[in-house]
Amino acid sequence: MAFLLAKMSVRALWIISYEKGESVAVRFSRRYPTVEQRAKCMAGSLYVSVPEDGTVLQLLLTEMGLSDSDKPYMALRDDCLHQQRSPALELHVEGPSSGRVLWPVLVISQGSLILACLAMVDAPADPRPPLASLFSVSQGLTLLAGLQAFLCGSGSKPDREGLTSRLAMMPSILLQICPLGTPLDIPQLGASSASAMPTPAGTQKQPAWKTGVHRGRAVVNVALTEMVRSMQYGNRNRQDLWDVYGTVTCKCEVEGVLPNVTVTLTLPPNGSPLMDVLVHPCVSSLDASILTAMSVEDCDSSAFSGPYKFPFSPPLEPFRLCSYTSQVPVPPILGTYQLKDDDNQLRITVSLKLHESVRNSFEYCEAHLPFFNRDQMGSVDVKVSSGQLEVSKEKNLLVWVLGQKFPKSREVSLEGSVSFSGEHPGPTDPLCTDLTAYIKLYFRVPDLTLSGCCVDQHSVQVYSSAKPRIVTSRELLSSEYFIWNSTGTAPVSSGHMML
Amino acid sequence: MSANWPERISAFSRSPSQFLCSTTSDIFLAEVLHELRDDRASDHIKVLLLSPLLEHPTLLCPSVSVGEETALELMSVFAQCSPKSLPLRCHLLLALTSVLLCSCCVSSHTSASQDFLDLLLQMAQDTNDAQAGAALHPLRTTACDCLRELEACLPGLLSQRLELLSTLRQQENSRLHQAYTGLHALALRNAVYLLTQQKGSGAGDLKGALGSNEGFVWGEGSDSAHPNSESHSDLALFSPLTLGPMGKVPSLQTGQDCKELRSLLSSLLEESYLLTSLSQAALLRRLVEVLAMVPAVSPTIFRAQLLRLLGTCKVCLLHTTLLMKAAFTDSLFSAEDEAFLLKRLVGLSQHPLLSTPEKLFYMDCILHFPENRPISSSDESLPVLLTPRLAAALVPTVFNDSVSMLARLNLLSLVYLEEGEEDREGQGGRGLAYLYDHLTSLLHIVENQASREMVVTFFRASFLFLLHFCHVERYSEDLSQRLCDLYLRRTRLAPHLINLADRTQDRLEESGWAVALLRALQRTITEAPLSQLTLQDLRWHLRILARVAEEGEVLQKATLNFLLCVITSSSSALCVSGDWRLGNGVLGVCRRLLLHPSLDSLLTPLADLLQHLTCHYGETDIQDHARLYYTLLTTLSQEKLAGVLAQRGTERGRQAKVRSLSAIMGETEELTSGLTVHQTERPLLRLVKHEPDDCKPDHKPDSEPACETESSPGQGGIEEYRAQFQSSSFASEITLQYHLTHTGVHDPHFDKLFSIRLHFDLTDSHYEEVSDISVPCLFRTRKPPTVTLRLKPKQPYHTTLRASAIFTTEDGLSWHSPLADLNVAFPEVFLPLLTPLGWAREKKQRVFEGIWGEICSGQSEGDLTNAATSLFCDQLEDSAVGELVEKHFQRYLVSDLDKGRCKVLFFLPPQSHVLLKVITEEDAIQVHIATDNWKLLPYVNSYLEDITKESHSTQQVNGDV
Repeated sequence: MAFLLAKMSVRALWIISYEKGESVAVRFSRRYPTVEQRAKCMAGSLYVSVPEDGTVLQLLLTEMGLSDSDKPYMALRDDCLHQQRSPALELHVEGPSSGRVLWPVLVISQGSLILACLAMVDAPADPRPPLASLFSVSQGLTLLAGLQAFLCGSGSKPDREGLTSRLAMMPSILLQICPLGTPLDIPQLGASSASAMPTPAGTQKQPAWKTGVHRGRAVVNVALTEMVRSMQYGNRNRQDLWDVYGTVTCKCEVEGVLPNVTVTLTLPPNGSPLMDVLVHPCVSSLDASILTAMSVEDCDSSAFSGPYKFPFSPPLEPFRLCSYTSQVPVPPILGTYQLKDDDNQLRITVSLKLHESVRNSFEYCEAHLPFFNRDQMGSVDVKVSSGQLEVSKEKNLLVWVLGQKFPKSREVSLEGSVSFSGEHPGPTDPLCTDLTAYIKLYFRVPDLTLSGCCVDQHSVQVYSSAKPRIVTSRELLSSEYFIWNSTGTAPVSSGHMML
Repeated sequence: MSANWPERISAFSRSPSQFLCSTTSDIFLAEVLHELRDDRASDHIKVLLLSPLLEHPTLLCPSVSVGEETALELMSVFAQCSPKSLPLRCHLLLALTSVLLCSCCVSSHTSASQDFLDLLLQMAQDTNDAQAGAALHPLRTTACDCLRELEACLPGLLSQRLELLSTLRQQENSRLHQAYTGLHALALRNAVYLLTQQKGSGAGDLKGALGSNEGFVWGEGSDSAHPNSESHSDLALFSPLTLGPMGKVPSLQTGQDCKELRSLLSSLLEESYLLTSLSQAALLRRLVEVLAMVPAVSPTIFRAQLLRLLGTCKVCLLHTTLLMKAAFTDSLFSAEDEAFLLKRLVGLSQHPLLSTPEKLFYMDCILHFPENRPISSSDESLPVLLTPRLAAALVPTVFNDSVSMLARLNLLSLVYLEEGEEDREGQGGRGLAYLYDHLTSLLHIVENQASREMVVTFFRASFLFLLHFCHVERYSEDLSQRLCDLYLRRTRLAPHLINLADRTQDRLEESGWAVALLRALQRTITEAPLSQLTLQDLRWHLRILARVAEEGEVLQKATLNFLLCVITSSSSALCVSGDWRLGNGVLGVCRRLLLHPSLDSLLTPLADLLQHLTCHYGETDIQDHARLYYTLLTTLSQEKLAGVLAQRGTERGRQAKVRSLSAIMGETEELTSGLTVHQTERPLLRLVKHEPDDCKPDHKPDSEPACETESSPGQGGIEEYRAQFQSSSFASEITLQYHLTHTGVHDPHFDKLFSIRLHFDLTDSHYEEVSDISVPCLFRTRKPPTVTLRLKPKQPYHTTLRASAIFTTEDGLSWHSPLADLNVAFPEVFLPLLTPLGWAREKKQRVFEGIWGEICSGQSEGDLTNAATSLFCDQLEDSAVGELVEKHFQRYLVSDLDKGRCKVLFFLPPQSHVLLKVITEEDAIQVHIATDNWKLLPYVNSYLEDITKESHSTQQVNGDV
């Protein structure tokens, strides 16, 4: 008798370090033979066994386009028929025409680290079921993302020693989170084990995602960070774009097995609603109206605009309670950028204006003007109305440090010319040719959100015996804030432009 | 030895096959188990030692018996572990689960697996640490995990223990309740499934199952986990449970009365919040399956969880929601919910805070969106609600990474393809215009020294675009023109362009776009000013022109003119330089032109070109081949030419082209494929063991004269015996004889085979390389030829040889065919005692006693480190002993069977001896074993077991008669 076999499992897992041109190695691998047994049964004659690590590595690099980087074209690697457009790769175990394929191999890579796992296909292998119907895929992706966060630590790139020591912990980590191929959890990050005590035996069930209970002074920390993106073209035919996305991060040190906390986000009157709200799984209930606004459709002015209540029971470690996107009426800094090519010399005019609604108090504010595909800078004759200019001739980069404040007029300008007469060619970029050039802004404004969203200290409710200390903060950060040269062609960055 | 365990284990994990070349799996397993029992080894090392068993149990325990023995060993190690060694004990449980499941012990219901299950269940029953304390949490969790894996592999195993599992789950208050919930939910789902498979099951059976607390069910369900069981029809029937509303789900007719199940489900759902996202998703998924099978319970019990799930940031939870929607459609999700979910997916597919793989996954979910009322069930179809306006959020831009960009391009192409269908003129709307603009901006980037990845991405994007919009001439024609311009600037892109032409030709045969592109490329190359042509460019041009020349529809005059100009122009340094590869490039084009349908009109210029090459090219090899082509062109008719140059010239299968010898020149890169050895699909030949006459049991092995003079007294015999080994070739080989015959595959084409060359590959390093064996011929009608295989052991172990044969058939084709693996069993390595001719029996016995004495004394003194003695006992009738000795030992007897006693000596090349003293007493047989190579003992033991077992069974048969 056949049976719909248990699923949601991975057959094998690999952690690979890939440093371009230097070393490529499987740093850790784990196979799950009992899952393999089930996969074999499910796939019948189409079963393809998992090759040894060396072979998997080679196949994976080929499929990811990373193998033989010295060869400009390889049929196996570069065939235009291979359309990798899903997160799952196919590994052709015995060459592309053999039809022996390992699928779906899920891959996540960050920096020099590649994590991959082979998810089990829990449906008959022929015809191949759609990826979206395989439960093991989202499980595998979650597992890989969790492992990645654990291995990379706090930085975006894993440091060598840290990575080695964390890799050594993998067997004991996997014993807890994926002992037999079925992912149960992801590695815990940064839980403060010092204040966590084992739970006393009680009648209340302890959440599986909480390693103990907090003992000591109750503190709730809620931090709101908003990022603003912008693409400004200074061109009548092209609409400038900007948007905002925010995250609310919490760290709650509250006693009790399952304490209740509620955080409320509020918007100013006439504030545009928070959209695309995503919440942490510890949020215990949600009002339908919180989820209605979405950035992919036109905003309804009568839409729900708060207050946004998030009742939850906090885990011990810091976590991202929720995130949202928002459309704000004006960008915080509006800029124009004009270049004129004048016989191997560029004449530059820039002006930046800080919008009056934005608090004129930055932690830092810098404008970067890179120049690509030219010789190295020769003479730089540039004047700024405010702030200082730093010139990096090797990188063909002008850094305009605006400091903490715009002047009273809230307008600053830069003018001058740069010649490119150096002997060596400067940095290249395939996008920024001719007069296609940009300014990128980097800034941080403490205690400000563009959407006006805020967490009132008094609105944080904690249902526990001791009165907790509540700390809230907010900040605005720039992210991908571009101002394109209006005299050159600028790339399209969003579909909203054509509508 | 223990010092290098970490290294050895990592060598094993890196490549088990390579590792096992230097040892055997039985030896390695024995070593691992030995070290595990060693008290001196640290826990850390022991955990490491378990990893081969955990990850490759089938390699180390290939049979039920080995699996069972290993499991028993591991259980005893587990029992003796210090209670504090928690990680070790957890890993032992995992290793036991792997070994027992993968060696099919559980499915064969062996006693070890039963004991193991009891052990697990006993550990799991200590809820809330009543007995062992909180320190044992990890062990208890692992026990639950192991139980769950067992249930997963043998569905239904715990189906009669649902009440116990339910109680355990409810009792547990620590974090461990998650493990119990997972176990309970899986067992519940499997139990319900089993009920749907029993005819006439109803509410009563369901109630009974929920309250059942009996034993394990080893029954029918278990064999499905056996890898060899094939039941595709059933699998196909039940898998739609996961696939959505279109398929059939087995259902249990319960009527409205299933209170117990309903309350159980609600209690599981209520607690789902307390689980980690991954476990929560898995639980919900199980419950969806249960509900799908029991229609009496309405899926609306999920409603309370739904908002929480729709708002989640976790991909696994949202995915579960989508699968829930696929299963229950409008009985759980209203039309508004559906619209919301789709918009949500679009939003998530471009959300700035999500990772690329997550976004790609959500995009895939849009393409396979589970609609409440699906219109088509094709592979990738767009949900009706996905309007161009909504999809605009996902248009590809140059800021996307390659994979996302291609995924977006694919999605949007589908959207605009539908939009275009509504557009009467078929020229596409604004959306399509945008996509084309995007493609041209990519092209622009490629022009500007883009990275290799960008180049590949651009060609993939172009292919994708053409796949959808090849019919929109405005764009497809413009694209081919732009590609030509791009090529002139970046001739290195030639292989990419050829690849694009090939693929579009394969996929869009009717459109003719590929031919148009090739024609345009030909024009571009031939019309470009020659003065700017570099040698590097020319090399790529020749590649393109060769590909163009494969197209019968494309006129080739321009190509020939171009070649003539390049070769003959006075400014050209090409002829003078005599570059072999460039010459070959030119010849490659010529060779294709020789096959071109319009050859008649090309005759004169082609002949001129070839003649010029023959006379003026500064490379003899090129001259020669040009001369050959010239001769062929001027003397053969077109049909013959085609026959000579390409066996299947008309067939344009680029991958599987059979090359003839004349093509080798033109296609130097494919030199090897020119001399093709064909591959048979199945083994055609086999080797059958053949017992030669001189090896047959010889009743008088020692018929030499007994009157031999005693030349040396005392120990002299053994020294003389040893002296023989000074010649290194002495007794170093074993000889095996086989008949070479056809296998059952009957194909008259292979009835007569000639020049057969048998090749053997070792699978381990215990033997020296085996040289090839030639057999002149093999006819199906004649007596099979005998093949003598000489093996030279380095270590006297059994082995497996990979065999293959190359032979020629009557029509002169060469073939390569694999043969079944050749197994050389342990007893096949035995040789009798090798003594100089004319030795008397007594002398041999003295050698026997001499070696025996050395082993026994050497072992006690400890200087003969490899020596060992052992004893084997079994019950065996007196008569059976006689038969056994005659059948198996006759050739190796040193003393004849006398009063139930005899002495046997096996010599195993190169230098090992196994000595047996067989003693029979009443109905028992004792075999005293002495050997100078202790590693052989396990093999000797299993050999003796095999032959006595055989005797038992013959006795049995005799008794029955």
